[in-house]
Amino acid sequence: MRSKRLGVGVALSAFALAALLTATFAPTSNEANHAIVGAGKASATKSVCGAGTGKKATGKAIKLGGIDMLIPGVDFTTIGKVAKAYFDCVNDNGGIKGRPIKYILYNEQLNPAQEAALARKLVEKDKVVGIVGNTSFAECGTNAKYYQRKGYVVIGAGVQAECYSTPSFAEVNMGPRYSNVGAAQALIRAGIKKLAIASPDTISAYADGGAATLAKKAGIPVKIYPTHLPVTDATSQLIQMYQFAGDGGGILLDFTPDTAPAFMKAAIAQGIVEKVKWGSSTPIANSFMAEQFPQFDGHLWINQEFSNIDPSVGPDTKLMFDVLKKYAPKIAPQAFAQMGFMAGKFATRALMNINSDITAKTYNGAVKGLKNQKTDMLCKPFYVGDLAYHIPNNTDITVDYKDGKVVVKEKCFKIAAVDKAIAQTRVWEKQYKLN
Amino acid sequence: MTGVLAFSVFGVDWQFLKPFVVIGLAFGGVYALSGVGLVVLYRATGVLNVAFGAIGAAGALIAYWMINHTSWPHWLAYAVCVLFGGALNLVYGMIFGPAFARRDPLVKMMGTLGLALILLGVMAWLAPVGGAFARFLPLPTSEHRYTVLSTSVSLTQLIALGLALAITAAVSVFLRVTNLGTAMRALANDREITATLGVPVRRVEAAAWFGSGLACGAAGLILPDLLTSLDYSALTFLVIASLAAALIGRLRSLWWTLFGGIAVGLAQAVLTPYASISQYRSAAPFVLAIVALLFLSRHRVFAIARTAR
Repeated sequence: MRSKRLGVGVALSAFALAALLTATFAPTSNEANHAIVGAGKASATKSVCGAGTGKKATGKAIKLGGIDMLIPGVDFTTIGKVAKAYFDCVNDNGGIKGRPIKYILYNEQLNPAQEAALARKLVEKDKVVGIVGNTSFAECGTNAKYYQRKGYVVIGAGVQAECYSTPSFAEVNMGPRYSNVGAAQALIRAGIKKLAIASPDTISAYADGGAATLAKKAGIPVKIYPTHLPVTDATSQLIQMYQFAGDGGGILLDFTPDTAPAFMKAAIAQGIVEKVKWGSSTPIANSFMAEQFPQFDGHLWINQEFSNIDPSVGPDTKLMFDVLKKYAPKIAPQAFAQMGFMAGKFATRALMNINSDITAKTYNGAVKGLKNQKTDMLCKPFYVGDLAYHIPNNTDITVDYKDGKVVVKEKCFKIAAVDKAIAQTRVWEKQYKLN
Repeated sequence: MTGVLAFSVFGVDWQFLKPFVVIGLAFGGVYALSGVGLVVLYRATGVLNVAFGAIGAAGALIAYWMINHTSWPHWLAYAVCVLFGGALNLVYGMIFGPAFARRDPLVKMMGTLGLALILLGVMAWLAPVGGAFARFLPLPTSEHRYTVLSTSVSLTQLIALGLALAITAAVSVFLRVTNLGTAMRALANDREITATLGVPVRRVEAAAWFGSGLACGAAGLILPDLLTSLDYSALTFLVIASLAAALIGRLRSLWWTLFGGIAVGLAQAVLTPYASISQYRSAAPFVLAIVALLFLSRHRVFAIARTAR
């Protein structure tokens, strides 16, 4: 009898637990938005999705694909999801000459075998004509040669060295290395005497190397702190960095919004927010973070590789807000959304420039033909060109938090040419009139 | 006073080392608390629960949801976090405990590994990370800070250490002086004989599962505050440090488990400023557990040798 009662009790407890879990995590419904986003005629003050016809595309789908990394502590899938949102908008606005874009997005877990397999699946099995929106700590290195052999040029957002040193990638961002250089430039201008830099350990050598070189050239002692993700002792590491940087020194954090908050919370708890100057690469330049961390108002030098995230900045930024609201309502406006939006926009532009059959050859040829792609999201126009490598984004701004918003602290400035590649890129830009 | 304390430890100035000692003691307290929970359960049921961290993480996520998406008072969310640990542990123990009762300890442990993986999957599915999004579960106690030996200490850190000491002491007394405690110790010795003596085995085991789960829920509540973020994968792997603590306690001694937990926490934190080994400090739990196992096995050889003589 007792065990029967116990059984009933356990069953009831199990039911209650299941109900609690379900109630806790049940997705909230979003209001349907029926307005036609991205429709109309493109002008200097209005951006549209693709042809902007306001009519659904119905023809045979054009396949594009992408690969984004998703590991504990770092989620790059936002970039591919926003690229897809942009393509959905294009499909609701006439598609590419009446044909919709079918975007296939795969996730990888920082696994080279998986990255290689997915690239081959996209190209050989899914038969995508182009690859768009890729972002990973390692995928560029894994697949650069394969893409080159197959004649693909990926428009995505880069992280590692191979994204900026091989012909296979044309990234809309400048990546953590150059973004960190930009943040270090801003901190040095702000008068720091020492600099402590932290990045995920998997990319630290590349990502932090440029900023360290810059600081050394400026005679500023610098120390790098490779950080294993997920972070399990942010406070310890932050104290270590503060002990090196000292009062008035600079601490440069190169983390995504999944990880950076742990350090920022630790800084608040330790009472050191106002004692140092805080630099960061782009990913934390979003209003969600600004709202969460008012304590950092005025203390940040965030390198923003794109324009400030405010609909008033220009028509592309406004369209991104509209696209997110309708096609990706769970994604907050942020740097990763800008990357996905631009990847989608420029891939669409390449497709629209094709005047023959759309194949892998014609699409990737059209990608190489992209020049002077103006957008209010970048300081200078985007381009690809037939180059040995691409660093089209090499000029950017510095932002800070103020009253729950991200505000511009420094206008467009050139990223210091810590690598020969940056100097060579600027030569090519002039030589081939790329932007 | 500062002059008196101005000495260095293996080349690192004590002034620089102090904050790491504070952090290490606090983390050590949580590891010890979890370790004690693991040991109590192991002694009563023979199950080494590797889902400990995942259960705590799930409870913490529920508390986070209650605080951020309902108007319920925060204290209720904290209570639910702790009770969820107890309830889920109890439910698992009651459903799978009898089936695993006569199985090898390794099989029992693999069962809990299954639970950990299921919970990780559910959390990743229903509460995904990323997308300009981070979760926090700060406790009001983190607002209260004190200066001890010119180092800032939060009330949460003091609670973490204090709770570990209090729970260890309370459980030790409980196991010695109460009937239920005696029954648990008897179960640890021999389940079959204890059952034949009329001890309600399933009820005693249920108490162990529930009590151990409460410790797990408490750790899940405190750790996000110490970590300064609510990352369920990091919380799930809390079990590694706790297991090391439990192994140092030979899965028997509560006080040695407490010592082990604090030693692991201290080692992880205090190694931070030593540049040459700082990167490897996450290996501290494994190293300490291996050293403890080697030492204990050596000790056992001596003991056997003495017995043989």
